[in-house]
Amino acid sequence: MGADAGASTATAALVAHGLSKRFRKKVALDSVDLSVPAGSITALVGPNGAGKTTLIRVCMAFERPNAGRVEVDGVDPWRHRSEALRRVGYVPQAPAVYRGLSVEDHLAMARSLHSGFDADYARRRLDQLGIPLDQRADTLSGGQGAQLGLAIALGTRAKVLLLDEPLANLDPLARREFIQVLLDAVRSEGSTALLSSHIVTDVEDACDRLAILGGGKVRLDCPLEEARRTHRLTDADSPPPGATAVGSFLGKGGQKVMTLWRLAAAGADGSDGQSAAPETTSLEDVVLGYLAAGRGTAGLQFN
Amino acid sequence: MIARIWLTFKQHRFETIAITVVCVVLTAAALIEAYRLSSLNVPISCFNGRYESSGIGTPTYSAGAHCQALVDSFMGLQSGLPMNLVRPMLLLAPLLAGIVLGAPLVAREIEQGTAPLSWALSGSRRRWLLGKVLAGVVLLVPLMLAVGLAAEVLEGALDPGVDTHAAFQNYLGRGSFDLFWALAAFAGTVTLGTLFGRTMPALIVAFVVCVFVRVAWDPGMARIVLRPMAVEQTGSNQQFGVFYGGGPGIIGVTIEPTPLIEPTPLPEPSGSLGSPEPSGSPAPDGSASDVTAFTPFWVQIDLYSYTQVFLDGKPFYGDPYSLPGYQMQFDANGNLIQSDPSTMPNWVDYAIPGSQYWLVVALESGLLLLGSLFCAAVAFVWVDRRRPY
Ligand SMILES: Nc1ncnc2c1ncn2[C@@H]1O[C@H](COP(=O)(O)OP(=O)(O)OP(=O)(O)O)[C@@H](O)[C@H]1O
Ligand SMILES: [Mg+2]
Repeated sequence: MGADAGASTATAALVAHGLSKRFRKKVALDSVDLSVPAGSITALVGPNGAGKTTLIRVCMAFERPNAGRVEVDGVDPWRHRSEALRRVGYVPQAPAVYRGLSVEDHLAMARSLHSGFDADYARRRLDQLGIPLDQRADTLSGGQGAQLGLAIALGTRAKVLLLDEPLANLDPLARREFIQVLLDAVRSEGSTALLSSHIVTDVEDACDRLAILGGGKVRLDCPLEEARRTHRLTDADSPPPGATAVGSFLGKGGQKVMTLWRLAAAGADGSDGQSAAPETTSLEDVVLGYLAAGRGTAGLQFN
Repeated sequence: MIARIWLTFKQHRFETIAITVVCVVLTAAALIEAYRLSSLNVPISCFNGRYESSGIGTPTYSAGAHCQALVDSFMGLQSGLPMNLVRPMLLLAPLLAGIVLGAPLVAREIEQGTAPLSWALSGSRRRWLLGKVLAGVVLLVPLMLAVGLAAEVLEGALDPGVDTHAAFQNYLGRGSFDLFWALAAFAGTVTLGTLFGRTMPALIVAFVVCVFVRVAWDPGMARIVLRPMAVEQTGSNQQFGVFYGGGPGIIGVTIEPTPLIEPTPLPEPSGSLGSPEPSGSPAPDGSASDVTAFTPFWVQIDLYSYTQVFLDGKPFYGDPYSLPGYQMQFDANGNLIQSDPSTMPNWVDYAIPGSQYWLVVALESGLLLLGSLFCAAVAFVWVDRRRPY
């Protein structure tokens, strides 16, 4: 985390420094340091209530941080909102559409609000998905509505995409397509995306980095491949040497309690120096371990 | 910006259509009512008559039977159902239009969760709000000017012979005031919607506030803002006088209405019985019958008139009825003893002359506009600070 953030600040598209956000007594974000490198697609993962949405909202200047700050493409959104938001394409969690306005009206609205909005691009995307432009947006299916929100966010051609669970409502095919579009956008336009999600398979398909939030803090922030490499899943009684326990949860089949271990930084690649291919842990297990950690031992108390 | 305005209409199409329909229908109804009144062609002189009763049988109309028929049908229209629907609606329409359009403007976006979408796209929330507010103004200006004009025409028809631009009759409910009331209600309600983030509460609170302001406006303006503009009504300065009506104990004060706008001299009504006095001029003799005399309803009544009590040449703010000079004292023979004039209260009527009409209109419109701008400023500041949900 720390080392990572320091190294990539210069090329980071989104940075959070000591970011804290409280709602009355509830701490949603607790001194969060996060750095999303330019050109990456970072998954923001964490249990319900971890602060993912809050973090994204702070980046949108919808919430004012209690301490610390964020920078979107080098601009503090709380101080220079217009400049910051011009660089951002945003899809809120459960995006709403204007009742009574057609899909085309939404694109016209986006055009009238955002000078750089590429309506043709958004239109093409919606066409490909077979979403009729003259249909009233409030009659679209949940997934189609999400696609409209996405098309608008991508139509801004923004440098930074902040997507709050954009895949939650999409069917598997639409998810696959969306991920492809996102990858294309990032590759061809050099955009950066921060995408919150609970669906690990999507994270694996779409993202190259993983940031795990838990209890308002960043628990993990590294490339996917590093996350797999630096964690091990074993029985609770057989820890890998020098590893620290992250969390325990019921393994597949519900027979055995498994524990996720984070390997010591020194031998961080986890290989014992003998095997040719380094041993890795599935991303799902890594995520489960951290989610379980957030609940203390609650991970043991399913059933 | 034109696209924004158009989309705002589309987004609020129910309110837009409802307000447009109501205003158009109301304008047409007011014009039709005005036409019905003026097509009676009642000669001005006919209004100068009065019903005179000898105490036995039906009263006779002093200006003649022909006039009586015309004036009766005029009065019938004036108190008919359509008029009683149109006139209150003319008063309410600007407030309702402003409120109905203003309440959902921001609040519904917050309620329905569309604000984050727009605010993320726009960057500047103020620009976003400006587009929406402009749409409201673009809708309200032509509609309210039409309603105000129709109200003006109707007022003219209801008070023939009175220059509606030099008279304060119902002046807050016609002409450009309709627009300014609507804009003030609109701006105020947009602000409440922005503060609350909820449409219904904004609507209800706005309605209560608007009705209160509308009712309190008249006396508030008269007592505070316009009072310095009032002048002493010519001939109204009168010494307190006591007269006996039906015996000792009945006290009356003769107050003679004196119009500040002199009506155009009236031609003698044809076939008049006797000679009706020119309106507004004091009755030839100060007899008791003048107190109960029917003042023709079309005679200019100055609004914002008020009465100041003077005692010995100085304004007196106490209870004039407790002054010793007001008490009647009788000598042993039962004759009234004249009090010392310096202890007698003296009532003086003040009013704002009709020649100040445009000045008053400008002043009050300006205040309404200032209020609207202030409300709008609060909305523009707050929209930048609040959460979009
Ligand atoms: N406006 C608010 N007022 C009060 N508490 C809030 C508010 N917004 C968020 N919270 C609290 O802050 C914490 C973080 O919420 P947040 O929505 O960021 O979680 P999340 O990680 O997005 O969860 P999920 O996966 O369920 O979407 C939660 O405990 C939530 O109850
Ligand atoms: Mg969330």
